[in-house]
Amino acid sequence: MDPILADIYSTIVPSAPYLIGAYALLWCALLAFILVIVRHVRKSEKQLVLLEEEVADLKAARAQRGVAGDAPADGGQE
Amino acid sequence: MRWALSDSNSKRRRLPESGQWPDKLMVPAIIAAAVFSTAGFLDAMLRVGPVNGASVNGFALIGGQVVDHVQLLSQKIFYFHMPVAIVSFVLLVFAAYYCVRYLVSRELRFDTCAQVAMEVSLLFVILTMVTGDLWTRFEWGVWWTWDPRLTTYLILMLIIIAYFILRNAVDEPERRATYCSVIGVIAFVDVPICFMITRLIPSSLHPVVTRQGGMTGDMAAALALCLIGMLLVGFVLYRARFAQVRVDQRVQALKDELALFEEEGRAGAGSADVWPFSDAPLAAEPHTQPSGED
Repeated sequence: MDPILADIYSTIVPSAPYLIGAYALLWCALLAFILVIVRHVRKSEKQLVLLEEEVADLKAARAQRGVAGDAPADGGQE
Repeated sequence: MRWALSDSNSKRRRLPESGQWPDKLMVPAIIAAAVFSTAGFLDAMLRVGPVNGASVNGFALIGGQVVDHVQLLSQKIFYFHMPVAIVSFVLLVFAAYYCVRYLVSRELRFDTCAQVAMEVSLLFVILTMVTGDLWTRFEWGVWWTWDPRLTTYLILMLIIIAYFILRNAVDEPERRATYCSVIGVIAFVDVPICFMITRLIPSSLHPVVTRQGGMTGDMAAALALCLIGMLLVGFVLYRARFAQVRVDQRVQALKDELALFEEEGRAGAGSADVWPFSDAPLAAEPHTQPSGED
């Protein structure tokens, strides 16, 4: 290679790993953050559905029991 | 009473919540972020030439142009390093805004918003440090130097880390939110110091675009594309994380509600009522309904 051209490009090749490293780390970190969020949201949403069902069942059962409790005390003896 | 309820409901509606109008912009924002970032990357790498460094003893004809300076490829880190730093500052401004809103209103939702903004900001601060360090290692030959810009930015990162240490150290939600809001405001105070330090201390080694004659049009265009892309990435990350935190809070509120059911069921175990769906009997209505709003 022409020595002047080699001098002109002297920092291009040595700095390439740093440049590639900076961009790769940047995008890997951002993607990792997004993936962690997405996985966590999916897990939490499944948990949420189960818990909401359980709470709704509990409330319904309690309401049912409340209705039965309002019935006259001698109602069941007839 | 009716007025009070309606007023309370309208206040609730004004609180930031996942699923509100900013979330409707998520898909366009993701697409736009990908387009702008990719366009910025390609523009910076393929169209904008490497910046000239020191002159050499001679010249060469490259692509029909006479070149007589060392070409600095490492400078291309700048096209993402600076936008990432700007996004970290913007997120800290939002965090401080929500901290002040919390201190004024004592509404825990604002503390949640500030927490999420600080988290995403910490990610961007770390990325700024890493990309900057890679540039520093090549250009200055060291991983770290106590340059004023680097030092103030390190202090900023330590303040944000302190915010999360404090967050985990205090259990009581109101007290935790108050302390953290104060730290959030302190972090915000460091933002203009970080930004202006290279102008206040001219001996700083850190490059300053305006001090070094500004940018050419093609450099500014590539930087603008990357900056818009990164701002959109910051917005998407903030909304996604906020939605996740809100789902977690709803899960926790439901768990608390169930625990309360079971606790009260145990308390009423002596009564005739036996809970049909669980081993624990249930006797009474919960004393409080978790709002899930904090």
